[in-house]
Amino acid sequence: MFTRILSAMAFVLLLASVGYAAEPVKSPVPTATAAASQPQAASSPGATQTPAAAAAAPTAAAAGAKAAVPAAPPRVKPNRAITITMFLAIIGVTLCVVVWAAKRTSSASDFYAAGGGITGLQNGWAIAGDYMSAASFLGMSGLISLYGIDGFMYAVGPAFSFIVILLVIAEPCRNAGKYTLGDILSFRTSPKPVRAVAALSTVTVSLFYLIAQMVGAGKLMQVLLDIPYRVSVIGVGVLMIGYVFFGGMKATTWVQIIKASLLMTGTCLLALLVMVKAGMNPMQFFADIVGHPHIQDHVRMAVLKDPLPVPGFDYGQRFMEPGLFLKNPLDQISLGMAWALGAAGLPHILMRFFTVPSAKEARKSIVIALFINGSFFFLINIIGFGAALHLSPQLIGSVDKGGNMATLLLAQFLGGGAGSLGGDIFLAFICAVAFATILAVVSGLVLAASAAIAHDVYVNIIMDGKADQHTQVKVARVTSVFVGVAAIIMGLMAEKENVVALVALAFAVAASGNFPAIILSLFWKRFNTSGVICALLIGTLTALGLVLISPVMTYPQKVADDARKIVVTLEKKIAGGTVLADKDLKALDKARVDFAKNDGGSSMVGLKAPIFALKNPGIVSVPIGFLAAILGTLLFRDKRAEEMFDEIEVRQITGLGISQGSDH
Amino acid sequence: MAGKSYNWSEIARNPKYLELKRRKRVFLFGWWGASSAYYFLLPVLSGYFPELFKVKLIGVINFGYLFILSQYVMTFFVALYYTKIANSEFDRMTDELIREIA
Repeated sequence: MFTRILSAMAFVLLLASVGYAAEPVKSPVPTATAAASQPQAASSPGATQTPAAAAAAPTAAAAGAKAAVPAAPPRVKPNRAITITMFLAIIGVTLCVVVWAAKRTSSASDFYAAGGGITGLQNGWAIAGDYMSAASFLGMSGLISLYGIDGFMYAVGPAFSFIVILLVIAEPCRNAGKYTLGDILSFRTSPKPVRAVAALSTVTVSLFYLIAQMVGAGKLMQVLLDIPYRVSVIGVGVLMIGYVFFGGMKATTWVQIIKASLLMTGTCLLALLVMVKAGMNPMQFFADIVGHPHIQDHVRMAVLKDPLPVPGFDYGQRFMEPGLFLKNPLDQISLGMAWALGAAGLPHILMRFFTVPSAKEARKSIVIALFINGSFFFLINIIGFGAALHLSPQLIGSVDKGGNMATLLLAQFLGGGAGSLGGDIFLAFICAVAFATILAVVSGLVLAASAAIAHDVYVNIIMDGKADQHTQVKVARVTSVFVGVAAIIMGLMAEKENVVALVALAFAVAASGNFPAIILSLFWKRFNTSGVICALLIGTLTALGLVLISPVMTYPQKVADDARKIVVTLEKKIAGGTVLADKDLKALDKARVDFAKNDGGSSMVGLKAPIFALKNPGIVSVPIGFLAAILGTLLFRDKRAEEMFDEIEVRQITGLGISQGSDH
Repeated sequence: MAGKSYNWSEIARNPKYLELKRRKRVFLFGWWGASSAYYFLLPVLSGYFPELFKVKLIGVINFGYLFILSQYVMTFFVALYYTKIANSEFDRMTDELIREIA
């Protein structure tokens, strides 16, 4: 049995190795010429999902700090003692939950679906928690604080995705499924190949997402508490394995609920304090923002790059207008599509529908999650604008180029400022919430990936569904350890990689592969085995291929060109007799090194520059996924699949014969 | 699966079932389509008609900001309306159907 699991894991590892980019080709061409411009533009949209990904590009500070605002405070310094105490408190509480859950986890249904014993309200909080990653908490407010309204627009996608889930995914899946994506897709098709492909897709999506979160966690802890990257990745990894191994879905759900309520508390507090400062008057609040000289300067110099003000142009008002961050409309539509359909195809979200006893509870949980998240994103908008107003975008951008520290800085400021007890405590609390957020999200992902391997691959493919409850749980637990360890190893190896691409990829794959397969399984009579396989494989490969040649990958040649510009500008300054500040000298050294390291290099797939212009492939890959599903289906006629359509349709519409979590 | 077995194709021909299925389809896909259209209006308008987003409506607050807020209102509305219809109409029809079969 173990050899089988091992081979399954080897396959997972193989697959995951796609995840990290190759070292850029080094070509030692030293430079003597050079000049300054900004390094790469701000982080790409995916950055919102991976806080620290873009977050921890501390190097950029030098070239990025282009403002006349505060001198040089480019660090958030939480009080270590208070912060670590809060971290330990969170770990302590969650471990109690795990012990409690472990005693109640004995069957496969307990492990994968919490025995169907989660209520709609609880599940609503848990689903909301899955959406509120550290990325949205830290990244989105940062984006708003730097680019104004574009950041807020960004948050509409997640909220809207609930409508798709509510109307066409949640209830039918609850009625027709059991534990995993494979259960739904294999209902009326040849189970083995379909389950294998579904498991492959689940593991791919979950691992991409997981690695991005792990890298984000490692970098966040490094920036905040000086905990070495390796230590935090391993620490987070061990905790998540512990949660899943002992407590299964029950522990994962409760950790998620605890985190979601902490996160909502922190968010409400921050937003409330911002509004109190504005005299509870939103008109005044926005008028202050538009009229603030820091924000006007930021928009003019850092974003629009007008060295001299254009007469009559209202730079403050521009902060409230779109287009500062999201520049390509097609990219926005594509991203919107990935959100709207991708979230509905994410396996770790899908799994949550099976934890409630009925379709009615599933419905209730989505509506609750929608309300929690809708309010959350609205509050984040207040926090983001509040951070811009009270801290200035210049300061936020100098601490972290992607703005990911905005929420934390704001907490410190509203608590009474750096060094004050109130500031320390509030900052520590918000750090601890961010930490809890990461823990909860990664646990759900590990569970989803292990369920696919243990339930679909081991129990249903290898054992033909003949495994007793005890064995099933044991296999699921062992698998979760392997998945967790794989994630830790990949997280360690991906430290220097651009993980933003991985999140874009997870959503794109879910939208282009999983979503067409699910929706057609439920609603199209002729849909069959070859259709499912074509949708999953072609949809996934298209999304993967397009991301590999898109601008979200790292292009060493571009890095080198940018570095070269910095070197040229700075050297010109020196030649002109200017004495450079320390900061600029450092930037010069760094730019020289960057140039030498990256010049002549090519991206992971050997490109000098992106071929596909969009950061998100959705607009192309979703239609291709659907097309592949339809053509694949029409290629073969499967009478059995058509005959069984009545059954899946009656089940999904009425809930007759629903699989009860408590069936042992 | 739960011990009981059903004659699926017979249920699939039941007039009550057919009525439920028709109503659900029309409602679900109709609202999905309508809300998606409204949702995609956001990137389309902001991307291709940015001037519209800049029109100031209340003080410094412009059409763009309010339009984004309206997206949230839209999702809340669709979710609540669906819950209402599902709780009253779809669940009732489903119960009636299940009672008839049992």
